[in-house]
Amino acid sequence: MPIFAHVPIMQEFHIAEARRAALLMALDLGLKRTEAYYVATAVSELATNLFLHAGGGDIQLSVVARSNRLGIEVIAQDEGPGIADVALALSDGFTTSNGLGCGLPGAQRLMDEMEIDSEVGRGTRILARKWGPVLPQDREPTSSYQVVEN
Amino acid sequence: MTESTDFNLSHFIESHQDKLLESWMKGLLPEWRRKHPQSVDEDTLRRQSRQLLDGLAKLLAGQLTESWEPPLDHSITLLLRNLSSARVKQGYRAADIAHYLVTLKRVLIHALLQENLTGDLSRFGDLLATVEIATDSLTTLIYEIYAETRERIIAQQSLSLLELSTPVVRLWDRVVMVPLVGVIDTARARQVTERLLESIAKFEATVAIIDVTGVPILDTSVAGHLMKTIAAAQMLGARVVMTGISPDGAQTLVKLGVNFSEIPTRATLRAGVAEALLLVGKRILSIKEEQ
Repeated sequence: MPIFAHVPIMQEFHIAEARRAALLMALDLGLKRTEAYYVATAVSELATNLFLHAGGGDIQLSVVARSNRLGIEVIAQDEGPGIADVALALSDGFTTSNGLGCGLPGAQRLMDEMEIDSEVGRGTRILARKWGPVLPQDREPTSSYQVVEN
Repeated sequence: MTESTDFNLSHFIESHQDKLLESWMKGLLPEWRRKHPQSVDEDTLRRQSRQLLDGLAKLLAGQLTESWEPPLDHSITLLLRNLSSARVKQGYRAADIAHYLVTLKRVLIHALLQENLTGDLSRFGDLLATVEIATDSLTTLIYEIYAETRERIIAQQSLSLLELSTPVVRLWDRVVMVPLVGVIDTARARQVTERLLESIAKFEATVAIIDVTGVPILDTSVAGHLMKTIAAAQMLGARVVMTGISPDGAQTLVKLGVNFSEIPTRATLRAGVAEALLLVGKRILSIKEEQ
């Protein structure tokens, strides 16, 4: 099972590549099909933002562990213009690109947790996680995964 | 024994051409024959390689600095261009093509070492450096040409895929259908819109079915593209029925907050066809019922 993937987003077709990688990883982790579809869609939204607003960036996917669950962690990072007002960007219907204005808030709803770290002029780093099913007691997450604090 | 100061690289290559060509082919052919048994045309290869040695001899008559690059219009550049792009089409890998010039470099250096040059050692070093600069920059060039040719092939392939993948089907009088398959990016979306509008105008369609069964994921950008397509179709007076949204896709769209509620949607293409026919006042009946 791949536990790490790195997809540079420079062109539009890279978005599909990141989305495919996310879907595969989520399904491998044992997420339900709908949940895996959520993760893939969220990654697609974040990657689209990198392409449209930041002039490119990176998507990193990794398997992470917390107590007795495994999850998928998505990091979208760019050195673009940054987000001036994060709260505004997370509100529905706000768009700077003539889009639908629900990509970022939508991604937040599709994932279990999402943090946005942005500085105007420096870039943006978005970290989002989706947790998989609870593992049986005898199958503790092993040390090969990065363990995330509660 | 020759004094290294009197040694002329250009003359050396010219006078030893047959011998050099022989060892070059001997180093190259076994591997190429093993990997590409179908496509090695020895006569052509020998002719091209002889021309390349000729070109190289002429090049080496002058002094080469470290930043030297083969001029774009030089015969040797054109020769390598032909050779490389022909090999790409035959399925040679980058390493196989680089191997061609790497072998030449080995052969040249080996031949120089066997000349037993005496005298000024630094002059001998210069000779080796010149051979190295020339063959290395030719290798870089051949690699660049290889990548360029590959990129062109890939671009052509994706263009042909784009053409393949957007049929607009006339389903019945005044009913057209587009089955969308694959990734909907900006280029595809634009093309779908164009084709759909053309067909609506051509067939005077009043209903258009857009089937998204084959779209791997419905995110906001796909939804945005679809909405623009639908708005354009409606402007031509066609009503749009959307079909094939999967249960996963429906749940995701709701979570995203994308609203398709103003457009009639049906879960399956079958239901969509029934709806579309109804909109033009038609119905599918079984033959028995009709009798």
